Amino acid sequence: MKEKIKEIATEVFEVQVHDDTNQNNCENWDSLRHLNFIIELETEFDVSFEPEEIASMTSLSIVESMIQEKSNNI
Amino acid sequence: MNWLVKIRYMEFFIFRNITIVWFFSYFKSSISGYEDISFIDPDAERYIWFYLAPIKTDNKVISAEIRNYIDLLKLTISRIPSSKTFIIFTLSDIYSINTITGANDIKEAVKYYNSTLHELALEHNNIKVLDFENFLSRYSSTELIDWKYYFISQMALNPRLSNPFHDWFKKQVKSIELKRKKCLILDLDNTLWGGILGEDGIEGIQIGGDYPGKAFLMFQKQIEELGKQGVILAVCSKNNIEDVRQAWSLNNSIVLKENHFAALKINWVNKADNIKELAQELNIGLDSMVFLDDNPSERDLIKTVIPEVEVPDFPTQPYMLPEFFKSIAEKYFSIYNLTSEDLSKTKQYKENALRNNVKSTFTDMNDYIRSLEIELSIEEVNNITIVRAAQMTQKTNQFNLTTQRYTDTDLSEMLNDGAKIYTLSVKDKFGESGITGLSICKLNGETVDIDSFLLSCRILGKGIEDAFMNWILNELKLLNFKAVNSKYISTAKNIQVKDFYERFGFEIISESGSIKSYSLNLGDVQINLSDNYKYNYK
Repeated sequence: MKEKIKEIATEVFEVQVHDDTNQNNCENWDSLRHLNFIIELETEFDVSFEPEEIASMTSLSIVESMIQEKSNNI
Repeated sequence: MNWLVKIRYMEFFIFRNITIVWFFSYFKSSISGYEDISFIDPDAERYIWFYLAPIKTDNKVISAEIRNYIDLLKLTISRIPSSKTFIIFTLSDIYSINTITGANDIKEAVKYYNSTLHELALEHNNIKVLDFENFLSRYSSTELIDWKYYFISQMALNPRLSNPFHDWFKKQVKSIELKRKKCLILDLDNTLWGGILGEDGIEGIQIGGDYPGKAFLMFQKQIEELGKQGVILAVCSKNNIEDVRQAWSLNNSIVLKENHFAALKINWVNKADNIKELAQELNIGLDSMVFLDDNPSERDLIKTVIPEVEVPDFPTQPYMLPEFFKSIAEKYFSIYNLTSEDLSKTKQYKENALRNNVKSTFTDMNDYIRSLEIELSIEEVNNITIVRAAQMTQKTNQFNLTTQRYTDTDLSEMLNDGAKIYTLSVKDKFGESGITGLSICKLNGETVDIDSFLLSCRILGKGIEDAFMNWILNELKLLNFKAVNSKYISTAKNIQVKDFYERFGFEIISESGSIKSYSLNLGDVQINLSDNYKYNYK
């Protein structure tokens, strides 16, 4: 799952991402691409995030645990 | 040859009133501010007008705004070059609630908007109206809006529709552009000038001076104009290239010289092969080329071998050239040709157009701004507004001179140190924006340091940024401060304000790396508060 997330992130942010990539250390992770990223994640993993969750998903590690949590609940 | 590259890429400048970036992210495009018509990218290949009915709760306001959009559009049409395609989307009300009173007003306003578009298209042949319903009607009303994304980002249309939209839109653009040819291929002897260069010599050919040279001169000048409009010019001629180059450099009557042409095929190879090569070199289709040659057998060859290329008959007498030019210019190179479907619509709208003489309500931007009845309410920050003020420093990227991020605690501390923090709320005849501007002024004896100055992109394009700055300078002057220091700190996103302070007479004190420091002597400046706005200060 981590690899798939990184793949999507790389595509959306148009830069190579790493495990520790977050909104502060990634220049291209702006508010517009953030929503793009979330939409791609929702489609790929068939989950839906609440607005509050979307606002909190500021790093790849948070994104991963969030998706993990959602998938476990299904 | 930069412009050739441009022709191959789609390049749009999009006027819009909602968040739409996803929908055009596949295209090379730049986007206006929300309902912002003040800036028009002069380098864009084409322009797009993409407005949807505003999502608001007061139906009277919605219908008034829709009618106002038409005024914005008319003003915009008058300001963009008529040589460039302007694609205008019809307007749809994607969230209509039929049972609420006033719903009919909206329907009427939408009808007025869309029928005006067709009238405008009749008057301006660079305008192409795209029927957006054609796309939207594939979806149910619940599919059209994803409210979650709407509330997060003002994205009225469901972002998941962006892929199908992209496919649909690309097809529409293609069908608009197909009708227009891109390249004009020209023979030289007895086509661009009278006589034969190889026989009559450089000074012997007829160009300029008396008839028939006069007629050829006019013809060349007209073709030069086509080139300026973006038509690619090329030469295909049986000649020695050295002779032609010599003629270009020595005969000053010749208007069309080597630099006008994107490609040259001046040789003794058959013209069909030459034209095929031109198509490859220029990376355009054979079906987007028009070939002009006075020699009927050359024309016949091309018609037979490459039927995709348009080959009009060439006039037998030079005095027939103006009529000939008019016919090819209109037939192949007018920006937008009416389709048969449009023609039937044309009949429908022609009568309307005659009745309502379509004229812009506003003559210029000033006029437009005044019509909005804008009120600027400026307040010093208080316990309630301080949270919003801090939030603005956190979120504003584009119109932000220093991009300093603060929490409300930071702001409280500054207040304790005597800083003046001004918030700006904007109201116009359509409604209120809430707090959308902020300036933090730190006091230092008789000098003021403007630590932060920022506005939400939502209110840009109406001169409000200048009015707010002038108001602050005026206020500081009234408070007897002597000088103001300020800074511009460049980031990846705030390029648009890099020369902001210069507009108010600030002088650059130092410039290093990403920081420009300014100073302004308040005693020296004459501050004019524009009367386009009403100012309220509490």
